Amino acid sequence: MAKVLVCGWDTQADGLAPGVEETLTLGRKLAAALGAELGLVVLGSAPPDAARVAGRHGASTLETLADPKLAAGGSDARVEALAQLCQAHAPRALLMPQTFDARLVAPRVAGRLGVPIVMNGIDVDVENGALRVTATAYGGDTHALYEIAGDGTALVCVSTTALRAEPAPEPRTPVVEEFPVDLRTVTERIRVLEPAKTEGPRLEEANTIVAGGRGLGAAEHFAWIEQLAEALGGMAGASRPLVDDGWVDASRQVGLTGRITRPALYIAVGISGASQHMAGCSAAKTIVAINRDADAAIFRHARYGIVGDCHEILPELIRAARAHRAGGS
Amino acid sequence: MRIVVCVKEVLDPDAVNSFAVAGRLTIGEDGTSLTQSAIPRLMNGYDEQALEAALRLRDAGASGTIAVVSIGADPANILRHAAALGADEITHVAADPADRADRAGLDGHATAALLVAWIRSTGGADLVLCGRQASDDDQGVVPALIGEQLGVPVVTIARALALEAGGDAVRVTRVTPDGDEVVLAPLPAVVTISSELGTPRYPTAARKLQARRAKPAVVTLDALGVAAAAGAPRVRLLRQWVPALHGHCELLAGAPAEAADALVARLIQDGAI
Ligand SMILES: Cc1cc2nc3c(=O)[nH]c(=O)nc-3n(C[C@H](O)[C@H](O)[C@H](O)COP(=O)(O)OP(=O)(O)OC[C@H]3O[C@@H](n4cnc5c(N)ncnc54)[C@H](O)[C@@H]3O)c2cc1C
Repeated sequence: MAKVLVCGWDTQADGLAPGVEETLTLGRKLAAALGAELGLVVLGSAPPDAARVAGRHGASTLETLADPKLAAGGSDARVEALAQLCQAHAPRALLMPQTFDARLVAPRVAGRLGVPIVMNGIDVDVENGALRVTATAYGGDTHALYEIAGDGTALVCVSTTALRAEPAPEPRTPVVEEFPVDLRTVTERIRVLEPAKTEGPRLEEANTIVAGGRGLGAAEHFAWIEQLAEALGGMAGASRPLVDDGWVDASRQVGLTGRITRPALYIAVGISGASQHMAGCSAAKTIVAINRDADAAIFRHARYGIVGDCHEILPELIRAARAHRAGGS
Repeated sequence: MRIVVCVKEVLDPDAVNSFAVAGRLTIGEDGTSLTQSAIPRLMNGYDEQALEAALRLRDAGASGTIAVVSIGADPANILRHAAALGADEITHVAADPADRADRAGLDGHATAALLVAWIRSTGGADLVLCGRQASDDDQGVVPALIGEQLGVPVVTIARALALEAGGDAVRVTRVTPDGDEVVLAPLPAVVTISSELGTPRYPTAARKLQARRAKPAVVTLDALGVAAAAGAPRVRLLRQWVPALHGHCELLAGAPAEAADALVARLIQDGAI
């Protein structure tokens, strides 16, 4: 039986990588359209809830690829492991959430196997037997429909922010297997001299984000963004120009090429709402826009808006937020 | 040392954004490409930063050539810009004439295959620099495909790079979600550059003038010995459209203090704070 595989290797101690369930939802749709079986693949040892998650989304198999070389996190091992998996199963499609690592590993696997790949996928379908992938382009200003020729394996990286995970109507109990990878010949060519170290919480996990843009006017005004974020118990983010100009660190950048966030509340101050920025925050449950231009694109995404000068509004908003925090208002 | 920088001509993304916001972004009759007569074309921003990275390596003492290559309908302008910035060689790999600048006619594999064939035909490269992605299709797969086809390591999303003393490795600072990571990759290698590298330089007036006369070398598929089939796309753009956006924003009016209080009240009421 034909297979559709979903791979999530960015495993965290307490569960699967964010986006795996949304990707499984797309995978199930594709498997149904192809009359194929859905399987979940985990690089490294599977977290305890992997089988339950796989079953909830209708996967009939959960495969783990365990090898100490995979645990080290190098991309040469990951590419080789996924290439071996694809060669063994010849799946019609291998889908993965588009994490930072997947952006490198997925196209390399495609290159190694000489198979087609589409990034930024938001939907998949089958038409006359051919795989079709809808992806964002121009940061999201447009959507593009790609058709993949042939019936070999195709790789799709899924941009999961705008997708909703929907469990299968009938959960299954997946067969749990270990896929025998052989990584004896793999020696990582790239040596990590200084590993990245997260300092403090990450924007990706923040429940509330207050983000500032070029409309702040001056680097020192970012202090207001930090104060408002603190008053709301959230984190401060920024649009790319603030990073480009060195006002804030790159770790603050929200967007297509920065952090892809999913907070409950996102307050955008002096941000125009360019598609590339929205790609990193449009999944927020509530978006608030503060901008002096009533026609700014950000208002089309926002639930609440204030049209006005942020230099006048921010101090008042900080006051009101602090009052709420203190139990007043 | 031979540094190859791969560049792509794209529609100015800021202009595309402005058209989108104004609701004037439209798709042409072919159903796949943007109506682009009013939108300027320029070198993909990350590719310009990849060239900047190459120039910085030279400023830091690297000897050898910087060769800039582009595939596309007519990338002469961006190649001349590259020459004005300091590229030693500029080359246009002329693929299928049906290949428009948005590359509807060439997929990532075909693009990488042509670039690799050209790189090989010129004696190889010690370092291939590319932008992390193109701002039109945002796919960002070509650098990794080049790396696999050449069988060399790929390092993505760099903000800084430096050659090691012996010239046989490159030290790269990557921007990761967990902060900066510094890695060492043996050469030859492919490195992709991100915006965190910083603003690229401007060409001097004299260089600009000089580069106006620069003619890119034009290389055809025949000359590369690449069969036309290698350029046949397996990922084909069928349609492109502008997604509809249904906003329902409630504007909070009044003096700043009033509007701020009203907003906080709404957020409390919604349970958002
Ligand atoms: C390939 C690519 C990738 C990109 N990736 C990202 C990304 O990851 N993240 C990102 O953010 N951008 C990204 N960008 C850039 C993006 O296209 C926009 O240029 C950027 O988001 C604009 O930032 P901004 O809204 O802060 O600035 P602007 O667009 O300049 O907007 C400033 C806003 O502030 C308002 N304003 C001005 N003064 C005031 C005031 N006193 N009070 C209130 N409002 C005021 C203005 O009305 C305006 O709407 C990318 C671009 C490309 C091409």
